Amino acid sequence: MTSPAPLLDVSGLTVSYGAVEAVRGIDLTVAKGEIVTLLGANGAGKSSTLNALVGLAPRRARRLAFSGQDIAHLPTEMIVRGGMTLVPEGRRIFPTLTVAEHLLLGGAKHAGRGPLAETRAEMLALFPILNERLDQKAGSLSGGEQQMLSIARALMSSPDILLLDEPSLGLAPQIVDRIFALVSDLRSRGLTILLVEQNVALALEIADRGYVLVNGRIEISGSAADLMASAEIRDAYLGA
Amino acid sequence: MRPGMTLSLTVLALGLAAPAPAEDLKIGLATAQTGALAPYDQPSLAGFQMRVDEINAAGGIAGKYPIKLIAKDTRSDAAQTALVAQELVDEGVQIVITPCDADPSIAAGMVTQAAGIPAFSFCATTPTLPLAVGDYMFGNYPADNVQAAMLAEYAIGQGYKTAYILTSPDTAYTLKLPKYFGEAFTAKGGTLLGEGTYAMGQQDFSAEVTKIAAMNPKPDVIMTAAYEPDFPALMRQLRGAGVTTPVLGSDGIDSPTTFAMGGLVEGVVFSTAGFATEGSPLAAFNAKYKAKTGEEPNTVYIANGYDLGTVIDAAVTKAGSLDPKAIRDAIASLTDVQGVTGAISYAGTKGMPLRSVALVRITGGKRELVKQGVPAPADVPAP
Amino acid sequence: MDIFLQQLLNALSLGGTYALLALGLAVVFSIIGLINFAHGELMTTAGYVMAFALAAALPFPLAIILAVAAPVLLAVVMERVAFRPVRGASGTTLLLTSFAVSAILRVLFQNFISARPVPVPMPAALSGVINIGPLHLGIIQSISIATTALMLAGLTLFLNRTVAGRAMRAAAEDFAIVRLMGLRANGVVATAFAISGLLAGVAGLLWVAQRGSVDPLMGFLPVLKAFIAAIIGGLGSLTGAVAGGFLLGFIEVMLQAWLPEAWLPYRDAVAIMLVIAVLLFRPQGLLARKTVLKL
Repeated sequence: MTSPAPLLDVSGLTVSYGAVEAVRGIDLTVAKGEIVTLLGANGAGKSSTLNALVGLAPRRARRLAFSGQDIAHLPTEMIVRGGMTLVPEGRRIFPTLTVAEHLLLGGAKHAGRGPLAETRAEMLALFPILNERLDQKAGSLSGGEQQMLSIARALMSSPDILLLDEPSLGLAPQIVDRIFALVSDLRSRGLTILLVEQNVALALEIADRGYVLVNGRIEISGSAADLMASAEIRDAYLGA
Repeated sequence: MRPGMTLSLTVLALGLAAPAPAEDLKIGLATAQTGALAPYDQPSLAGFQMRVDEINAAGGIAGKYPIKLIAKDTRSDAAQTALVAQELVDEGVQIVITPCDADPSIAAGMVTQAAGIPAFSFCATTPTLPLAVGDYMFGNYPADNVQAAMLAEYAIGQGYKTAYILTSPDTAYTLKLPKYFGEAFTAKGGTLLGEGTYAMGQQDFSAEVTKIAAMNPKPDVIMTAAYEPDFPALMRQLRGAGVTTPVLGSDGIDSPTTFAMGGLVEGVVFSTAGFATEGSPLAAFNAKYKAKTGEEPNTVYIANGYDLGTVIDAAVTKAGSLDPKAIRDAIASLTDVQGVTGAISYAGTKGMPLRSVALVRITGGKRELVKQGVPAPADVPAP
Repeated sequence: MDIFLQQLLNALSLGGTYALLALGLAVVFSIIGLINFAHGELMTTAGYVMAFALAAALPFPLAIILAVAAPVLLAVVMERVAFRPVRGASGTTLLLTSFAVSAILRVLFQNFISARPVPVPMPAALSGVINIGPLHLGIIQSISIATTALMLAGLTLFLNRTVAGRAMRAAAEDFAIVRLMGLRANGVVATAFAISGLLAGVAGLLWVAQRGSVDPLMGFLPVLKAFIAAIIGGLGSLTGAVAGGFLLGFIEVMLQAWLPEAWLPYRDAVAIMLVIAVLLFRPQGLLARKTVLKL
């Protein structure tokens, strides 16, 4: 199944921090409605790739197109306004801001109160726990609640594609299950997702396709089922 | 600590076009064009430059020695001043002029003394300056102890019995002048009730003022050598706390800011280098300066710098040569050189000039002459 | 007791000015990690504009508005011209840039205005005293306290009630993420500089009101004090900067008031020692925010 015009179309993406090349010329596509996962060991360049896509890491690329538009030179805020956003690794919530303030800022791109209130109501329906914590400082939330807040904050910008960086990091298993159920749910509502996840089994379970990064290069790619079936991948590259 | 640590890298060399290179008197200016001392050195230089131009227009000193000025910025930094002084000495100047403060002047003086080149500080007032450097160092302004003696004599004459002094250990001037005043005041029968201190540039006197307000008995007079920005802040806070005790100050407050303070400084008496009475040489100088530059001279440092030109003119004429040692000896023997601020003598002093001090009272935002002259030598506290 | 209350008022007035300045430094530092030593020249700018506006016989309220607006504008221009090109560079680069901006402005003031102080003739009405029982409160002192309170309240409202203010609080914690929400980085940084310019302008006017003149080097010392205050409070913490400012003012006034006379010349040394003592127990400052991992 190949879609003619992928939502995200990347080729030759390189990310370097000074002399260190974290990502070395990778090609990557994500079609509308897909869940695609980026797998790899620690330091393989997964997070660098996501950060580079939204302009938070120094990047070069032969082609960096989103919705058919070249975004290689757009600043982060314009990429986000264009419909691609990131839920960063480690959640990165603002500890001293309240839950309500996170949602307000997350929806900063919405002009006017109407669309903002609408999106906010949607988020609170999706994450009822946040509704109970609206005036609480984000720093006082539990890890799982913070992760949900981080996702809700990103979704407030009504993105077409969501980049998710290690959503399961440091969370209890039952919370992780809930978050992954939510990710599937989001996809069923039409959201496209690019997922970076250490927990390979979990990631492949919900993904359509996957790429395996080794030392900044894509070594293997294929459907989730194929990757799952390959014992070689699990042993050699993923260490899972 | 001086607030003038500018990173300015401009070292301006301002050479003057002058003919007859062989017989030039080269004067090196190791003074501040930038930084905390610039407000004093720059007007001094303006006056000095004016006198030098006049001398050169008349064919040079004694008609044969045109003056060539070499100015280098010291950035108000003592180490930089010593460095600049060394550069000037290396360029073969016969006289060096140092900034309006004792510390950089001593730093430069170490260089000029060793090289046997006479040096003048534009307007440092610390009487120990020539003593600290040696016999080639001269002052060019009424010394602190001379100003203090005049103020003490005035205070006793007003019937003040008790005094309070406010000092700052941050400079020799702000520390020593009030202490000289205390000595002279006590020697004439007055009593010192106490001494307060302040840190320069912080302009918060509230704690000190609260202490003064709570004094019992209150002093008859408060004396300080504080100047801008401290003096205006002190007066504002002192009067703001309801303390109406008369205040005596020194030449540092002879500035437009002081006169713009209205009622706050009404009645303040301070010592300064000169007073332009009707028909006086100073009034004539001020008129000449205004005609030339289009601006009122807003500080006596301009006239004081002008007088330094006259002093050098007299010394070189007397020496009859450009030999630095001959010039030094001539300076040290000068008597009654007629400057626009009054007669200036170096004979018999230890490097600081004997010259008249004016006491000025601020009345309705204007200056009013209280007294002008030289105190009796016996009344002047030892440096 | 009366004397103590009087000194407490004195401390409040001085500390308030330090607090405004420290807050101005902290607002910028919290967002782009820059300690803006040119903050002092923003104060000086306010002073000069006030001096020229009064000399031009403009009405007093108009003079104040101009004197506060000028440093706001200058701060924004400063950011655009000098700091934006080096944004994200190392702390040393930022610091040196701010030293350079500060030095350039001082030399410009000196060469194009005057090396000598320019008088700022504040209205005579400001020199009065309010007597509350045994306490004397100078009009300028009371204006200083009231203005500080007003500014702090206004800033608190701004930071907690407006989107721009909340964005600034968020940016202080994690600037990269603010951009991830589609908020314009340049806008947030410019707002921070504008606010720091406003704070510097107000503090500059209070400062000038006390001293009655403005000179090119006026801003150096107060900003040094503000820097110390910001360090006590915990660099980057806004509440910390305010607390540090008041604490420093309190320490200075109380030492001046109660140190034995022989110790008074060492007041600043003692004050700095107390500051070091505070930092020994709280190395991150009084109200340091938790370190946030930045990209």
